[in-house]
Amino acid sequence: MQRKNRLGRVYLVIVFLVLYLPILYLIYFSFSSGSTMNTFKNFTWANYRTLFADTRLIQIVLQTLLLALLSSLIATVVGTMGALGIAASKRTSTRNLMLSLNNVLMVSPDVIIGASFLILFTMLGISLGFGSVLASHIAFSIPIVVLMVLPRIQEMDHALIDAAYDLGASAPQVLNRVILPFITPGIVAGYFMAFTYSLDDFAVTFFVTGNGFATLSVEIYSRARQGISLEINALSALMFVFALLLVLIYFFIQVHQSNRTKRNKQKARNAA
Amino acid sequence: MTTPIIEFQHVNKFFGDFQALKDINFQLDQGKFYSLLGPSGSGKTTILRTIAGFNSVTSGTVLFQGKPLKNVPPNKRRVNTIFQNYALFPHLNVFDNVAFGLSIRHVPKDEIQTRVMDALKMVHLQELASRDINELSGGQQQRVAIARAIINEPELLLLDEPLSALDKKLRQDMQYELRELQQRLGITFVFVTHDQEEALAMSDEIFVMDEGAILQNGTPVDIYDEPINHFVADFIGESNIVKGTMVKDYEVEFVGKRFECADAGMRPNEPVEVVLRPEDLDVTTPDKGKLIVQVDSQLFRGDHFEVVAYDADHNEWLIHSTNPVKEDADIGLFFEPEDIHVMRFNEKEADFDARLEQYEGE
Repeated sequence: MQRKNRLGRVYLVIVFLVLYLPILYLIYFSFSSGSTMNTFKNFTWANYRTLFADTRLIQIVLQTLLLALLSSLIATVVGTMGALGIAASKRTSTRNLMLSLNNVLMVSPDVIIGASFLILFTMLGISLGFGSVLASHIAFSIPIVVLMVLPRIQEMDHALIDAAYDLGASAPQVLNRVILPFITPGIVAGYFMAFTYSLDDFAVTFFVTGNGFATLSVEIYSRARQGISLEINALSALMFVFALLLVLIYFFIQVHQSNRTKRNKQKARNAA
Repeated sequence: MTTPIIEFQHVNKFFGDFQALKDINFQLDQGKFYSLLGPSGSGKTTILRTIAGFNSVTSGTVLFQGKPLKNVPPNKRRVNTIFQNYALFPHLNVFDNVAFGLSIRHVPKDEIQTRVMDALKMVHLQELASRDINELSGGQQQRVAIARAIINEPELLLLDEPLSALDKKLRQDMQYELRELQQRLGITFVFVTHDQEEALAMSDEIFVMDEGAILQNGTPVDIYDEPINHFVADFIGESNIVKGTMVKDYEVEFVGKRFECADAGMRPNEPVEVVLRPEDLDVTTPDKGKLIVQVDSQLFRGDHFEVVAYDADHNEWLIHSTNPVKEDADIGLFFEPEDIHVMRFNEKEADFDARLEQYEGE
């Protein structure tokens, strides 16, 4: 038993090393004064200084964030309405058809989606730039939101809706006061999924982006072709720390909430 | 005579090919406690949902205080429902759940505060106002559902098997509380249940339903003492049902003997079914008994012994006896003429009532 446990632990350590080593490697070299990642020379903040002086790169980071925030916001609104529509469709065959059409977009490769958007935009004569990238990000995020929100709607007891009508609520009030609060966890999850997909995306963006606009992934790719500069390492390090902070905050909120419910349940039991 | 609060006129309801309601006719008066009693699938919940407005009817008319309900949506009906699983809003706490109906109608904040606290006081939950719903026990959730429904001051409260999820002790307590609440508020209650004890204990009037039709309606005592047919007799309480023949008025023959009875108005020598309630059978010595049976087994039920015995024709007899009997012994069964209840085959409720009227009026 002891032995088995130790083996398991070793396995776990190896898995996490494989996952995190490349990132740690990048971060390590962000403090190197050399120009390549072959050997670590001297410790320096120089890479961070050049990063903060590189207004083009900072602007691209901000653009990427703005794009992600905006596209996931719009995709969440459209996707939530879509999920509500799918859930409300009376016939099972209609519902399955719509869900399948939604899933096809989820599984089809980014390259195909990107290429088809490029063809569409050129045919319609839409100039490539922020608008075209935004539109395509919204489009590939909607199915994700639908998939995150739909289970939450289906989980909902239909009697809750009946009860709301029974108590005098109109249809908009039922939506605002009962359905939306109930599916909010799904909407939030869908929003964050869409957000990360948008931040991540390279293939689709690469196709539909024009001269005036680039996202971080496209920019890093084009820079990497001329040999990667350690400035990118510094940027990666900062983004990694930022993500880590977000995860930690989320973790503490969760711990706090579950403690509160536990305390109240204990109180309820003591009272009874 | 005031207008009935709810009236069903020849109501039929189809779900596809399935007929859920078959020519339903009834009237409910203001301020009474009604029960719809029947096995699952008998159409009782369909009637409830029709009154609440979640179902439309295929044909027929439903009147609310004399006005047709057809085009009134659920949120405009002065009717509230207590759902089977309470359907409390999980994202709202106790106070906000109860306040839901008032805040929907933009009642001023301070009025909501006082009315919610009054409603919570009525169901003994005023201390738990700020609790989350999932922190409450089943009985407490039940009370929140009641408070949420009565705060809107409905004319009619619909209850869809609200006690079925509670344990037995709590269920009995809630029966008293619901009955008491109904009398205090003077609201008409329509209570759907498949539990005959619940219906007998609480109702002013019971509608017994099966397969989408109302078989019999009347006070609990009427229905228990004079069931219209085999189904009702069997469904309401325990009973011994044997085949017999109505020899003439006030004389019935079953298990090969003739007995004096209290029923009349049937054709001579008409085949009938005879009901004898287990608690109406008194155990006595074989020579004093009207019937002689052999004890097969007995169970101790706390307040009585439940005895199963067989007569010479192998009919099973269920007897509730206050004293234990010896197993395999022959015992006599004694009963009064009024304890015998005779049922005709396929008698309609209207004919049944008319016949009872005819000879009970004498």
